[in-house]
Amino acid sequence: MRYCLAFLTLSRLVAAVGGVEFNRDVRPILSDKCYVCHGPDAAAKHVPFRLDSEAAAKSDLGGGRHAIIEGNADASELVKRTGATKPALRMPPVSSGLTLSASEIATLREWVAEGAKWQKHWSFIPPVRPPAPAVKNAAWVRTPVDAFVLQKLEREGLKPSAEANREMLIRRVSLDLTGLPPTPAEIDAFLLDRSPNAYEKVVDRLLQSPRYGERMAFRWLDAARYADTNGYQFDGERVMWRWRDWVIDAFNRNLPFDQFARDQIAGDMLPNATLEQQMATGFNRNHRANTEDGIIPEEYAVEYVIDRVETTSAVFLGATLGCARCHNHKYDPFTQKEFYQVFAYFNNVPEQGRAMKYGNSEPMIPAPTKPQQAALAALDQKYRAAENALAKHEAFLAKDEKRWEHGLAAPAYWTPTRDLDTAASFGRTSLASVFDGKVFVNRPSAAKFDIEDHFTLSAWIYSDETPDGSVMSRMADNPKGKGFGVHLDHGKVHVNFTSNWVDDAIRVETERVLAPKAWHQITVTYTGSRMAEGIHVYVDGHLEKTKVLLDSLYRPFRNAGKVFDEPFRIGAGWGRERRFRGRIDEVRVYRRVLDDKELAVLALGESLNEIASKPAAQRSAVENFELRSGYLETAAPATIRNLSDEINALLDERAKLEATFPTVMVMAEANPPKPTFLLVRGAYDHPGDKVTPGVPAVLPPLPSGAPNNRLGFAEWLIAPANPLLARVTVNRFWQMYFGVGIVKTVEDFGSQGEWPSDPELLDWLATEFVRSGWDVKALQKLMVMSATYRQSSEVTPEMLQRDPENRLLARGPRFRLPAEMIRDQALSVAGLLAEKIGGPSVKPYQPEGLWKEISMQDMDYVQGHGEDLYRRSLYTFWKRTIAPPEMINFDSANREACVVRETRTNTPLQALNLMNDVTYVEAARFIGQRMMKEGGASAEDRLRFGFRLVTGHWPSQKEQDVLLASLRFHLDYFSDSPKVDAYLKQGESLPDPKLDRRQLAAYASVGSLLLNLDESMTKE
Amino acid sequence: MDPLEQSKLLMTRRHFFGRTSVGLGAAALTTLLGGDAEAAGGLPGLPNFPPTAKRVIYLFQHGAPSQLDLFDYKPGLQAHRGTELPDSIRMGQRLTGMTAYQAKFPTAPSLFKFAQHGESGAWLSELLPYTSKVADDLCIIRSLQTEAINHDPAVTFFQTGFQIAGRPSIGAWISYGLGAESQDLPAFVVMVSQGLGNSQALADRQWGSGFLPTKFQGVKFRAGADPVLYLSNPPGYSDDARKRFLADLTKMNELTYQEYQDPEVSTRISQYEMAFRMQHSVPELTDLSKEPASTFEMYGPDSRTPGTYAANCILARRLAERGVRFIQLFHRGWDQHNNLPKEIRQQCRQTDQPSAALIQDLKQRGMLQDTLVIWGGEFGRTVYSQGTLTEDNYGRDHHPRCFSVWMAGGGIKPGVTYGETDDYSYNVTKDPMDVHDLHATILRCLGVDHTKLTFKFQGRHFRLTDVHGNVIRPILTA
Repeated sequence: MRYCLAFLTLSRLVAAVGGVEFNRDVRPILSDKCYVCHGPDAAAKHVPFRLDSEAAAKSDLGGGRHAIIEGNADASELVKRTGATKPALRMPPVSSGLTLSASEIATLREWVAEGAKWQKHWSFIPPVRPPAPAVKNAAWVRTPVDAFVLQKLEREGLKPSAEANREMLIRRVSLDLTGLPPTPAEIDAFLLDRSPNAYEKVVDRLLQSPRYGERMAFRWLDAARYADTNGYQFDGERVMWRWRDWVIDAFNRNLPFDQFARDQIAGDMLPNATLEQQMATGFNRNHRANTEDGIIPEEYAVEYVIDRVETTSAVFLGATLGCARCHNHKYDPFTQKEFYQVFAYFNNVPEQGRAMKYGNSEPMIPAPTKPQQAALAALDQKYRAAENALAKHEAFLAKDEKRWEHGLAAPAYWTPTRDLDTAASFGRTSLASVFDGKVFVNRPSAAKFDIEDHFTLSAWIYSDETPDGSVMSRMADNPKGKGFGVHLDHGKVHVNFTSNWVDDAIRVETERVLAPKAWHQITVTYTGSRMAEGIHVYVDGHLEKTKVLLDSLYRPFRNAGKVFDEPFRIGAGWGRERRFRGRIDEVRVYRRVLDDKELAVLALGESLNEIASKPAAQRSAVENFELRSGYLETAAPATIRNLSDEINALLDERAKLEATFPTVMVMAEANPPKPTFLLVRGAYDHPGDKVTPGVPAVLPPLPSGAPNNRLGFAEWLIAPANPLLARVTVNRFWQMYFGVGIVKTVEDFGSQGEWPSDPELLDWLATEFVRSGWDVKALQKLMVMSATYRQSSEVTPEMLQRDPENRLLARGPRFRLPAEMIRDQALSVAGLLAEKIGGPSVKPYQPEGLWKEISMQDMDYVQGHGEDLYRRSLYTFWKRTIAPPEMINFDSANREACVVRETRTNTPLQALNLMNDVTYVEAARFIGQRMMKEGGASAEDRLRFGFRLVTGHWPSQKEQDVLLASLRFHLDYFSDSPKVDAYLKQGESLPDPKLDRRQLAAYASVGSLLLNLDESMTKE
Repeated sequence: MDPLEQSKLLMTRRHFFGRTSVGLGAAALTTLLGGDAEAAGGLPGLPNFPPTAKRVIYLFQHGAPSQLDLFDYKPGLQAHRGTELPDSIRMGQRLTGMTAYQAKFPTAPSLFKFAQHGESGAWLSELLPYTSKVADDLCIIRSLQTEAINHDPAVTFFQTGFQIAGRPSIGAWISYGLGAESQDLPAFVVMVSQGLGNSQALADRQWGSGFLPTKFQGVKFRAGADPVLYLSNPPGYSDDARKRFLADLTKMNELTYQEYQDPEVSTRISQYEMAFRMQHSVPELTDLSKEPASTFEMYGPDSRTPGTYAANCILARRLAERGVRFIQLFHRGWDQHNNLPKEIRQQCRQTDQPSAALIQDLKQRGMLQDTLVIWGGEFGRTVYSQGTLTEDNYGRDHHPRCFSVWMAGGGIKPGVTYGETDDYSYNVTKDPMDVHDLHATILRCLGVDHTKLTFKFQGRHFRLTDVHGNVIRPILTA
C-alpha cells in the first residue's frame, strides 16, 4: 500500500516555498537522468561533457555554445536539448531508456532562467544550526523540533492534529523506546498522574529500563548484519553474541554515539583498549564468511573488506561507496581509487578468505561475560593469596631445599606435570634398536586433540644418518592423512595439520636443518588458532624460525559427524616409507601451551642432582626453577606441598574456566601491514596500482595528528568537521519513530538520495546531537517529547491524499510494528516473556524441517525449551540462509548484508503466521487465561480486560459486542472435549489446571482474535 | 490505489465472511500478496512486448549436472581416454580449490552411450530415455557459460544475476514486474526435492526478494501437512471456526478503519481474506488424490510420494494451470565429484521421466505454447576426472566455461540444438550464451525488455541483468 500511495512527490509538497533551488529541485533531475553519462564517471563512457561540477557544466562547449547560460534559458543547450521535439536531438537519448517529464523539463528551464545558481551537494556542507523559526501558533511548540514542523504546516495552510489521548501515547512511546507495550498498571498510573510532567516521567522511566537497550539494538543488528551463522554455502554456526550484548549494554549505559561509532570501527587500536572496546569491533566482523570447499580464498578475502566498506559507509556516512568498486561512482564524487583507499583501512586484518567451517575465525578474542570475569578475578585473587602464603615460607624453603639438594644422589628429573596428557620414557640409552624404520609405539588414548584445542608436544630425538621420518603424530598413517603430526623432513622439523589434503591443511617447517646423529630436544606448541601463526617450534629450547607451506585449515578432524580415532603414534604416522630411524625419548604431551620456563625445563635435560651439584651462583633461572619445582612436588613438608598443590589446582581451574569463555571475532591489524591495490573492475585477481589509505577528497581530511590507519579513520568519522555522521544518525532514529526518515533514503545521502523533507530540521537535530555530546538518550527524549510526536494518528481521506506518507507530520505516526515487536508484544501481554538480557542465542518454536530440507549434512534446528521459547526476538538464533520465518514474514532485514531502511508490507502470510503459528496460539491461550484469572467475574469485564491488555485501551461498545459474540460462538464451538484438548495442547507450557477447559479454549480464541487485530500489530 | 477509492470500496464491499457468503468483489481482491494494484497488475508499461510465455516453470538441477554425460556428445574423447587434458584446451583456466592441487588431469570420456532422437536428431545420452522422447519439443543449449565456480555463488548468480547475495531473485523480479495472475496463489512458488547424490546447501535467499519489498519473495511449498508455513489452523480449530473468527476480525478492523481512516487497515482486511482463501486453494492444489492414474503413470512411480521431484512436477503443472507466474523446482544431489556414473544414474532415474512428462502433459493440455520450461543447473562439470579414473568410475569437478540446459515452450524454438563446444566440452566454440543472456531471454519470452525492468535502490536503477545481457533471438519463435 505504501508503495502505491507514494504518488505525490516531495517537490510538489514543498513547491509552495517559491523559486527553484538547485539542490532540492535540479540536482535530483541531473543526477537521475543525466549523470549516468555526464557524471563523475563520464570519462569511462568517453563523454567529454560533465554536468556534475559547476565549472564543467557552464564551460564553453566550442562554437560559442554553452550548456548553461545564466539567466538565458533559450540560448542554453541544456534547455534546448532537454526540450527538443526531435528524438535525434533530445536528451536524454532514447537509447538510455531515460526520459524527462514535462515538469522536470520546466524545472530545468526555470532554474536556468533564474540564473542557474549552483550549490555544492547539500550533505557535504557541514550542518549549521538554524534558529528555531517563528510560528504563529507558538503555544503548540514543545521543543524546537515542533517549531520547524509547524512552520512548514503553517506555510502549507495546515494545522497539526490534536494530542493523542494518554492511552495511545503511552503505548506508542513504550513500544518505541522499549519495544514492549505498557502494562495495564503502567497505563493506569499514567492516567492518574495529573502532574504537568506526567508524560516526561513515563519517558524517563522507559529510557532507564534495560528493555531500552534491547529495543535500540534491534535496528543496529540489522545495520551491522549480525547473525549466528557464517552464511554462504555451509552456513555453520559462529559466536558473536558477546558483540550483540555489547551493543545492548552500550545503549543502556548511554555510551555517547561518537564513542559508540569509534569503538566499533577501531576500539582495538585505542591505547590500553578495554575488553569492551575490543569486542565492539566485532561490528566489522559480522559480515558473511565463506567456508565452501572449492573457493579461491583470495576472492572472498576481498569480498569481506568490500562488505566492511559498504556497511561502514552506509551506516555512518549514508554513502553508497560500494558503487565505486568497479568504476568511479556514477552519481557522487567518489573515485574508484578513493574506494580502494577506504578499502585499505579495512584490509589490514590478519584473516583468511576461507573461514572456519565451525565456530569463529581469526582474529578473535576470548570475551568472558561479567560473571565469568568476576569468577576469574576471584580465582586470581585466591591464586595470589596462595602465592603470597608460599612466599612467606621463603626463608624456610630456601634452607629446606638446600638440605634436600644435598641428599640428592641418584639422577632424577623434574618436568612439568600439570595438564600432562601422556608421557613416554624409554631410558635414554637403550632404544637404538627400537626405532628402526619399522617399529613404532602406539598409544590409542593419547593426545585426543582436534584443531581447536591447544596443546604441547615434546620429545628428545636422535636420528641415524638420515634425519627424516615421523617423530610423533595422531593422523592417518600416510603423508596426506587426516590429523596432526611432528616429523623430520630432510632434517627440518615439519609440523602438519590436515583435515583434507591439500586445501584444508597447515604445514610449517623450520628453516633450521637438524644435524643427524645428535640428541635434539624438540617441542611444538599449538594455540588452537587453526592458523600457522598458532604453531611454535622449539629446538633445544630455542624458538625456531619457520616457513609456512600451507595455511588454510577450516574443518575439524571430526567434520560432518565423523569419528576421528587414529591412535597417537611415536615414530610413525607419515606412511610406511617414513618411519623414524633412531632414538626417541622423553615424549611429553600436554593439554595446554606450556609457559616459557616450563618449555625451557623440557629442553634442559639436566637431572636434579646434576643441577644441585653446581654452585648456586652458577645455576641459571631455569635450573633454579626445575630444582624448586622438583623440591616442591616431591620433598617439601606437607603444609607447603599442599600450598603448592593448591596453586596448581587453581591454575587448572583457571584454565578450565578460560575454556568456557565465549569468543568474539574482532578487528586487528596485520603486522607487517598488507598492501592494498586498486582492483580493476573490482576483480580480486586484477590488481592495479598500489594505493595508500585515505578518505574521499570531497569530505574533510583526516584530523591533524590522526594516524593514517583505521583508528585515524574512526577519529575522522567522529570529528566535528564530518558533515555526515550526525545527520545520518539522527535521520535513522527519526525513521524509527516516524516511519520514514527526514531523508527518506536513510542509506543514501548522495545525489541519488532524496532531498530532505525538512533540511533545517535535520540540521538542527544534527547540531543539537553533537552539542549534547552525542547523547543518544537525550536525542530520543527530544524526539518523543515533541508535540509533533505526540499528535493523534487519526487521518482524514483528504489529508491522506495530500500527504500519504505523513512527511509533513500533520499527524502522529501510525504504522505496523516491526517483526520483533509483534512477537515480543504477544509474549509480553501473555505474561510469558522471559526478561533475561543477553547470552547465547536461543531457538524458539519453528516449523519442523526448515533447516534440514535445504542445508548440508542434515543440519537440523534443535528447538529449545522452557525459557528459551519466550526470550525477546533479538535473541532468536539467526541462521542466515534459513532465517527465522516469523521474522522474515514481517519484513525483517535478512542479515545477509547491511540494511538500514525500514520496510513494511502487508501480506496473507503474515495473517497465517499470526493466526496459526504455535507461538501466537500459545500466547493467545495465556491471554485467555489472564482474562479469566485477572479480568473479573463477568464475560464483559474479562473481554474488556483482555482487549485493554493487548491494545492498551478499553474497547468501544461496538467492539465489546463483537468480542462477546465471538466468545459465545467459541463457547458453543468448544462444546466437545476432543476439540478443546487438541486446542489447549499447543505450546509447551501448560494451562492452569484450575480453569474450566472449555471456557479457556473460548477465551484463548478471543485472545487470538485480539492478537490479530490491526490495531494490535500497529503503532498508533 | 487511490485512498479515496479505497475507502469507498471499503464502505460498499460485500464481505466474504459475514452477511453474505458470496465471494469478494474482484476489485477488492486485486492480488494475493500485496493487496494493491501494483502487485496485481505489475508495473505500468509492462509487458513491453506481446509475451510468448505467460508463466515459467524452472526445473533447477541443483549441484550442477554433467553436460558430458547427458547432452554434450563428444565421441572423439574415447581416443584420449586417460590422457592429460591439453594446455591448449585448459588455457590457464582457474580451477576450484578441490582440484587445483591435483597433479594429473586425465581425460574422462563419458561411460554412457549417446544416440540421436526425434526428427531434430538431437544427441542425448542413454541416461535420458524419457527426455529423448520429447527431444523435438526441446531447445538444447550447449553453450551456456557462467562466471562462478562454486555452488553458492553460482546458484546466486543464476537466481539473482550477481554472485554475492543481496539482489532480488528472478522470480521476485518477475512478480514485481508482472504481478500475479492468480487471485488465490502467490505469483512465485518454490519447491525443493532431495536427490540421491551429493547434496549442496540451498538458502531461502535464493528465492528472496533482495531489496524489493518482501511480498515479492518466492513462497516455498513443502510436502506435508502445511504446504505453506502456518497454513493450517491449530489442531482443534475448524475451518468453520476460522471463518467465523475472520468475520469477527473484519468487523473489529472495520471499526478501526472508521476511526483512523488508514488504508493499511483495509489492506489488512483483504490480506486476512486472502489468507483464508489460501487455506482452501493451497490444499486443493497440493492434493493429488483426484489426479487420474494416468497422470502418475506418466510422471513415474515416485510421483505418488509427496515431496519427490516427480510429485513436484505434477504440482508445477497444477500451479501453472492456476496461473502462478513463476514456478521453480530445486532438485538437489547433482554434485558428483566422485562416483559420478553411479550417482548420475540414480539422479536421472529420479528426474528424467517426470521432466519429460511435464513437457508432454503441458503439451497435451495446450499449455506448452504459453509456458516456458527450463531445465538446468548452475554450471557444468570438467572433462578431466576428479580423483582416480578407472574402467567404470570417475568424478568431475565444477566447470563454468560450458554446460548445457534445455528450454521448451513459451516462444522457444522446438527441436533445436544451440551452441557448440570444443572436442573436450571445455570451451564454447560457437554461439556462447551467458547467464545474463539467459535472463534477458526468459524476460523477453514474458514480454519484458530486460533493460526496462528496474528498481531504484541506493541511488541506482538496478536490473536483473545488471549492465549486461542479450536476448538470444535465434532460439525464439518470434
